[in-house]
This record gives sequence, structure tokens and C-alpha cells, in this order.
Amino acid sequence: MSRRLRVDWPACQARGLCHELLPEVVDLDEWGYPVVAGTVSDELLPDARAAVRACPRLALRLVD
Amino acid sequence: MTDGPLLWYLNRGTGVVLLVLLTLSVVLGVLAMGGRAGRGVPRFVTQSVHRNLALLSVLLLLAHVVSAVVDTYVDIRWWQALVPWGATYEPLWLGLGTLALDVVVVVVATSLLRPRLGLRAWRAVHLAAWAAWALSVAHAIGIGTDLARPSGLAVLPTAACVGAVGVALVLRVSRALAAPRGDVVRSAA
Amino acid sequence: MSAPSPVPVPDRVRIHPGPALLAGIGDGPTLAAHRQRHGPLPQVGLDGLVGLVDAIGLRGRGGAAFPFATKLRAAAGRRPVVVVNLSEGEPASAKDTALALSRPHLVLDGAVVTARALGAREVHLVLPGDRPATAHQVRLAVAERRDRVRFRLHAAEPRFVAGQARAVVELMAGRPNLPVTAWAPEAVAGHQGRPTLLSNAETWAHVGLLVLAGEAAYRLHGTPDEPGTALLTVTRRGFEPEVVEAPYGARLREVLPAWAVGSPALVGGFHGAWATRETLWGARVSVPGMAAAGMPLGAGVVHVPDPGTCPVAFTSAVVDYLAGQSAGRCGPCLNGLPALAGAVRAMAHGRDSAARIDELSRLVERRGACAHPDGTVRLVRSLFAALPEEVDAHRRGTCLAATGRQVAS
Repeated sequence: MSRRLRVDWPACQARGLCHELLPEVVDLDEWGYPVVAGTVSDELLPDARAAVRACPRLALRLVD
Repeated sequence: MTDGPLLWYLNRGTGVVLLVLLTLSVVLGVLAMGGRAGRGVPRFVTQSVHRNLALLSVLLLLAHVVSAVVDTYVDIRWWQALVPWGATYEPLWLGLGTLALDVVVVVVATSLLRPRLGLRAWRAVHLAAWAAWALSVAHAIGIGTDLARPSGLAVLPTAACVGAVGVALVLRVSRALAAPRGDVVRSAA
Repeated sequence: MSAPSPVPVPDRVRIHPGPALLAGIGDGPTLAAHRQRHGPLPQVGLDGLVGLVDAIGLRGRGGAAFPFATKLRAAAGRRPVVVVNLSEGEPASAKDTALALSRPHLVLDGAVVTARALGAREVHLVLPGDRPATAHQVRLAVAERRDRVRFRLHAAEPRFVAGQARAVVELMAGRPNLPVTAWAPEAVAGHQGRPTLLSNAETWAHVGLLVLAGEAAYRLHGTPDEPGTALLTVTRRGFEPEVVEAPYGARLREVLPAWAVGSPALVGGFHGAWATRETLWGARVSVPGMAAAGMPLGAGVVHVPDPGTCPVAFTSAVVDYLAGQSAGRCGPCLNGLPALAGAVRAMAHGRDSAARIDELSRLVERRGACAHPDGTVRLVRSLFAALPEEVDAHRRGTCLAATGRQVAS
């Protein structure tokens, strides 16, 4: 079962922690904002949860 | 054992280290949070260090309180560690320390529950960390016997802590004033 | 700071009489005239109403063509709220204004009958911030009503994204009229977390007509698969816009005014798509049909540029406007749309920026709290898809449109 990461765009301020913690799924665009590619596999789920917890703006959510 | 100097040293030792750790935590919170991902230390590292310093401080705070209460050299009761009045030993300075502990507990608890609280409520409480730090400094200066009769071992770290936070504040304020508002590469909100 | 709209918000509109919504507009917009023509408003239960709108497949007229029955079912919950979106943030559109000026009670009847069916006690109306005559007419119409629902009026801010669903919910809560992230559709959890049935004014007019006239009468116009009609706003520079009512299935070239036939046009508004003469010539008014032809009906705007206008230049002017209309809340839109506008402008000035346009388009799509960047990208992509010779000429440094280079429409 895989899940998706959704960004709360008005909250996001391109701090970049999500990319640091989950580079396999989250890349950064030329302005520093997250580009979420694909779903989160089971092995990456713990890292995804860490990324969600780490976001200083609470701008990341794990949804089905 | 409870009436030897060991507990007294433990209490004062944890006190000084605690002040240093709290200061580091505050300085990191002020200077290293915010801004975007970039060169240098990754953001999640500074965030982790900030959190771990804070949590370590809580452990040390526990040791600091326990050593004070258990020590029979001064009469400090358990409840006086949580309620900031009614103490017989140095009521004012102890009370400030107790208040600092109360604030630390609230700040840490809200941080652990941050996703439930939402950003605005969490940030409002988190700002109280400043108060916790200031209260700790006042507590240290007032009740820290090593400071009453100036012993270099205690004065130096305390002065350094106050200086560090002062510098951090100045840097942060000047950065905020210098940064142009509505700079395009970030959200306007 | 932000560029003006290449098609200004109109202060007058020419409304053509139509077969259904716009029937009898000569009688005037009063409640008395409305009741004279359509009779009293029947009481309809929720199941009955759902059945009616489902049977005719009623779709929203705000641009997204979302099935109304689905929204209605979703909004059947505790303390629902009914919202009529009359903000008409699309400058080139005037159909909601036309309804406000000529048939306001059809809109209000639709909202009231639905509110009653849902058990909602309030009907919220979102009025345009930049069309005072429209807002005034709606207030007059509301003052005439004697329904047992409370009407709450809100004035939208004068911007393009003011009519976006979440932006409206924010406005209703007293916050700035700008989009926020929606974790659930507003029909499920909207205003104050309550089920919020928000629809375009024309959608409500169709609900009203359906209930007043009955399904059989409603089905007299349109096709068996797509019953009903749609309001179109047909615009050109320098003239007041014309609003026509087109039955679904009718040939577009037969419902458009004569001057609008025979040239390429921008269909669907600023978030719409370019259509060639040929495509328009053969097209029928239809939501799925026009979507399949690459020119989604959207909010029903057909803008016809002057002959000799360069579509690349016009598109550039629209993208400049749309970039300035970003709410500024989401990084990719705030940064990406001005960059996209710059790249399109470069192409309008004869430089080959196609690769950069494509790169930026892929960067701003689906990365924001609302569909403003997506709509902008749709417009830009349609230029490449529908008018490739014009684009290629610009990439080579020339322009097909005129001997001299004209900039805006």
C-alpha cells in the first residue's frame, strides 16, 4: 500500500527539509519549492513520516 | 549521602550546564530556523540539534530539581519545584526557577503535540521559550551561590550565555530589518 | 503593479432573448414579472430535487462543469449552507451579470428551492466587486423576496481568483478573498466546516427553471443526452459584450452573432483555449463535445480578437494579466507565473522560448492551492496546439498577423 504526499502550498515557504529527508520522492524546483514525484512506497514510509514531522511550517501531509 | 556535598555539587553543576544548553537551544532557534534550504549544514540537522538540546535540557532539569529536593542541606519540597510560591529557601529566586520550569514543560509539551495544535497556536506558546531562558538567568544569578561570591567558574558561563543571546537577538533583528519585504522567491503570506 | 486585463470588465452588456433562461427578458427583472411568467415556486424535497438534476445531468456553469447532483448529495448534511457565486471574476464574462440584470429571480428561486430541500436557513450571495450595476440589481431583487430564508450578501474583491470556491468560503468567514488549501471539497466541509453547496449563478438559474417549468419543458431545448441550454458571452474589443443563450447541440456558428463567425477565437475565457476558424465552424455547443475538440466551453466566453491581431501577442497580454492576478500565496504560482509570462512575452517579441515555456508550464501545474496556474497553462498550451504556424513564425522572429507588429488585441 503506498500513499501520497500533499503540500499545503500557502503554508510552504521553501525551507527544504522535506527534500533533505526524502530526496527520493521530493525534489526542489528552481525557487526551492518541493516537487513531489510519485507515491511513497512502504520502505520510504518512515522517512516520509519524518519529513512530515520535520516541516517547520506543517505544510506536508501524508494522504492515501 | 543526602547530606554530603555531592548533591550540592550535582545541583550547581547541572544548573550551569542547563543554562548553557538552554542558551544554545535559544540561539539555534533564533538564528538557524527560518530561511531556505541551502549550502552548509542541512536544515534537518539544525532542527534536530535544536530539538535534542531542548530534550536533553529537560533531562538535566529533572536532575537539577531532584538533587535540590533530595538534598537536606536546604529545605526545598517537591511541590515547590512546580508551584512558584510558598518556598522557605530563597522564595523569590527559587520561584523564578520554578516558573522557568513550568514554562519549559509547556513549551516542550506543545512542541511534542505540534501537529495537533496547528502552527499559530504552537508558535505563540513557543515564544515563551524566551521567558523560560530569561527566568533561568535570573534564577541562576539570584540563587546561584557561585555567583553571589563571584567564582570565575560560574560567572563566565553565565555572562557568555547572556552575551550569546544578546548577539543572536541583534543579528536576528537586523536580518529582519534588512530583508526586503515581498521578496519574490518566497510566499507573500 | 499588475498588468490590466486585455479584455476590460464591461459596464454594459447586450442581452439577447433566449429560449429558456433568457425567455421573456422584455418583461423586466421584477419579482412580479417573474411570477407572472413562471408561477409560484414549488416546494421540492431533497430526493425529488436530486432526481431532477440527475435526470438532466445538470453541470455547473462556473467553468469546471462539475455534476450538480453530486454536489447536492454531498451537501446533504448537518447545517448546510447554500452559496450563489455571482462574483464573475472573469473580466470577459458577462453571463452572470446578464442574469442579474434580467432574470435575478430565476437564480434566487433555484437557490431558495435548494436551500429548502436541504434544510438550509441561509442563502449566501457573492456579488462582484467591480460591477456595481450588477451588485445593485441583485440587492434590489433580494429586497423584493419574501422567502423564509435569510439572504446574506458578500462583496467579492475585484480580482480574477475572487470567485474560486475556497476563496469565496474565506470571504464568507471574514478573511481575505483568496484561495487556501482544501483538504476536503467544500460541499463536504466548507463554510465553518459545514457542507457548503456553492455554485455559479447560471447553475442556480437552471435549477430554478427546472423546478418551475418541470423536466419535460426543460428538455424541449438541447439534446436527449445533453438537455438544456448554456449562456455564452461573446466579446470583441471596443464593443459591449453580447450574451446569447445557446441550446446544447446547436451549431456554434448559428448561435454566435454574425461578426463572431469566421475567425479564430479564444473559447472559455482566460483559462480557456484557442480555437481555429475550422474548429469553430464545425463545432456544436456541448460540454463533452467541445472538450473533445480541444476548446472546453468553460465559463462560456468566446472572445474574438480583431482581424490582424497577433494571437501570440494577445496570449502574452493575458498571461501578463493572469500572472499579476496570482493570490501570491503559493510559491510555484507566485514565482512561476511571472516567469511564464516573461517567457511568453519573449516569444511574442520573436524569440524562441518554447522550451522554457514548456519547462515552466510543467513546474506550475498542480502545484498550488487552486487551479489558477493550471488554467494559465491550458491557455498557453492551446496556443501551441491550435495555432502552431503563428507560434513557429514567432520562434523564427517573424509574425504572421500583420505587416507591422501589433501588440495587444
